[in-house]
Amino acid sequence: MPKHALGTHGPVEDLFEGYATGPWWDEMLEAPSAPRKVSLGLHETLRALSATDLEERCAERDRSFRDRGITFSLSGEERPFPLDPVPRLVSAAEWEVIETGVAQRVRALEMFLSDVYGRGEIFADRIVPRRLVATSRHFHRAAAGVEPPNGVRIHVSGIDLVRDASGEFRVLEDNLRIPSGVSYVVENRRTMARVFPELFVSHRVRPVADYASHLLAALQAASPRGARGDPTVVVLTPGVHNAAYFEHSFLARQMGVELVEGRDLVCRHNTLYMRTTSGEERVDVVYRRIDDDFLDPLHFRPDSLLGCAGLLNAARAGNVTIANAVGNGVADDKLAYTYVPDLVGYYLGERPILPNVPTYRLEEPEQLEHVLERIGELVLKPVDASGGYGLFIGPQASDEETAAISVAIRASPRSWVAQEVVLLSTVPTKVGSHLEPRHVDLRPFAINDGERVWVLPGGLTRVALPRGSLVVNSSQGGGSKDTWVLAGDEHTSAAREGDDAERTAAAALAEIPAYGSGPDLGPATGGAEQQQQQQQQGPGPPCSAG
Amino acid sequence: MSWRIATRHISTYRYSSPVSASYNEARMTPVASHRQAVLESHVSVRPVAPALRYVDYWSTTVHAFDIHEPHDDLVVTASSVVETTPAEPLDRDVTWAALGDPAVRDRYVELLEPTAYAPLEPELAELSRAVAAHEAPADAVDALCAWIRSAMRYEPGTTQVSTSALEAWRQGGGVCQDFAHVALVLLRNLGIPARYTSGYLHPMADAPVGETVNGASHAWVEVFLGAWQPVDPTNGDPVGERHVTVARGRDYADVSPLHGLYHGGTLESLEVTVELTRLA
Repeated sequence: MPKHALGTHGPVEDLFEGYATGPWWDEMLEAPSAPRKVSLGLHETLRALSATDLEERCAERDRSFRDRGITFSLSGEERPFPLDPVPRLVSAAEWEVIETGVAQRVRALEMFLSDVYGRGEIFADRIVPRRLVATSRHFHRAAAGVEPPNGVRIHVSGIDLVRDASGEFRVLEDNLRIPSGVSYVVENRRTMARVFPELFVSHRVRPVADYASHLLAALQAASPRGARGDPTVVVLTPGVHNAAYFEHSFLARQMGVELVEGRDLVCRHNTLYMRTTSGEERVDVVYRRIDDDFLDPLHFRPDSLLGCAGLLNAARAGNVTIANAVGNGVADDKLAYTYVPDLVGYYLGERPILPNVPTYRLEEPEQLEHVLERIGELVLKPVDASGGYGLFIGPQASDEETAAISVAIRASPRSWVAQEVVLLSTVPTKVGSHLEPRHVDLRPFAINDGERVWVLPGGLTRVALPRGSLVVNSSQGGGSKDTWVLAGDEHTSAAREGDDAERTAAAALAEIPAYGSGPDLGPATGGAEQQQQQQQQGPGPPCSAG
Repeated sequence: MSWRIATRHISTYRYSSPVSASYNEARMTPVASHRQAVLESHVSVRPVAPALRYVDYWSTTVHAFDIHEPHDDLVVTASSVVETTPAEPLDRDVTWAALGDPAVRDRYVELLEPTAYAPLEPELAELSRAVAAHEAPADAVDALCAWIRSAMRYEPGTTQVSTSALEAWRQGGGVCQDFAHVALVLLRNLGIPARYTSGYLHPMADAPVGETVNGASHAWVEVFLGAWQPVDPTNGDPVGERHVTVARGRDYADVSPLHGLYHGGTLESLEVTVELTRLA
């Protein structure tokens, strides 16, 4: 039960004093002191807190993270994960739009990927130019003809949303490769249960702790042998130095499956095995958290020691499933994004539930000129980058930066898209000893098990911490909030009790032993990996790789 | 008239010390088309290994195999019997306007874009325009191939499998692979979709039936002039009965006959022989 009693001595000062609303959508307040319906209870609770009370809650938060050893790597430095103590609330009605909109988008993108790596009907029908795909560096021709056993290529996705000034949710970016952050969703919730236990009594918050069980079920369903054959699933990590290693180990532990590195795996005659202390064990599904380029040195970078040679052909042979599928990046770069509303219409015959942010393709000359004229009002994004790198924000740019970007997009229009600035919604956020509005986005996570697209009720709300900033990526030093999706009438008892119940269940999942490195293909031999090529005019020097 | 040709392509890799594991893909199986019937094809490997046979993005048949027993030698033998057909003249009717149609350019976008082996180079681009000021695309194809033969010497041993069109052109010579890559640069620059084509060439125009000769792997190009049509920039011969087509792609990287990785030993020698027998 709550350790913290509500402020018995009454608020010394109002945490909301000076809180400014503006032309943007504030998730909590319609106007100063006028909370939205969804936030009435939260607002009341916060109003009753003094700055000292809030500090105590934050101290509890920090203890909670520290006790569990949770950090975030920013530019190579480990820091405590920045969780703001004020949650972001989403009503049941709002969530329904997000949930159906995200699922719709994933269904359309699945069909697009199947088409791109299959018959290419959308090109023949002139809906999308073949050029979009053929000039993408994420289009992996080696993945053509690799048929996923249950038809799923996007087992896990993170569809980034923003909320505009009118309160409408819009898609900012699709992440169909290896979207990360879900471990923070689950851990933030565990922490919030310690920070604001009374709010979980007064609010019916839908649980997020069962994410891993949904993920495991979807991965098992994707097995070539089907879910009933008790398939062996592994999580493939690049290793302990990867920025998301915490999440890799978290998911493996929560699912109760092995966490492996490339050196723990071996392909033999198009079947994948992992080396264990009791010999080799066949692997059916690889939940890989390694980029395509490093996944299989036979087909991609020959110098990669992170992946496993032969893995792609094992998938092609139908002996293992790679999740997410190889080559998904062709559908989630910022140029492909501009076509997603067309994909929804073409493949599903539906109208997009979640609109895009208005975006311009610069390869089209009129659009390029239009963008150059309005460059000071627009955001420019590199097509290939993610994580907020390389972003140009017109209204905040200097003359020099504007001139430089104009030259860059003229030189390489394929590499950029331009977007209207969206004034992201705000949520009260602790700044010093009081609350100020800070802009946020939302990354919901969707899991496709082949039967349905399930969207985790919650998601990572990312916060742009500097006042007025619209850049929320945690790789750019942003913060996060716990996202509370409130239960509607249909979710009553499960939501009320589910969170604690499932959190306990998750914690009870067996800790798996750390996995020893394999005896061979270590540095001694792995480093000597070499490429051999048939040659027509006598043997050239073999390309050394390693 | 058509020929029936038996091919036998043997690659022997010798390592200075045993190789412990090896992963490979062989692209050595002739492709079936309206110009070429494949009557038999077989790829075998020693040490013996089961292969996964699949058709890749470029419609090339691939044999993927891995070997886990230590070995000092790897021998890959590809055998086939194909029926080839006489050369057809280039389509002289296709116009620049037809090739410039946005739908055509989009359909073949990846065979118009520069590649690592066939990069965009201003000097070559300029040359392609200067050489090919002709009335029709087909004439431009002829002129460019003739120009390559006049500007580049056929000199085995001066280039490597990794040599790009630019490097070969700058040094003024090379082998069929280099001629083909230079042709791709010139053709694509003019807006003619072009693809690298690998296979075998029977060396004798009037080959006697039943006699086995030593041939060679060969490379040429195919151009899109309303339909795909082959041309041979290395020797200027029409592509007909003597050419056996194996694989096509954007450049050599898409068709490399054997591509692989191995753990352990170092490659000491590679011996490649191609035996061709006209059967009928």
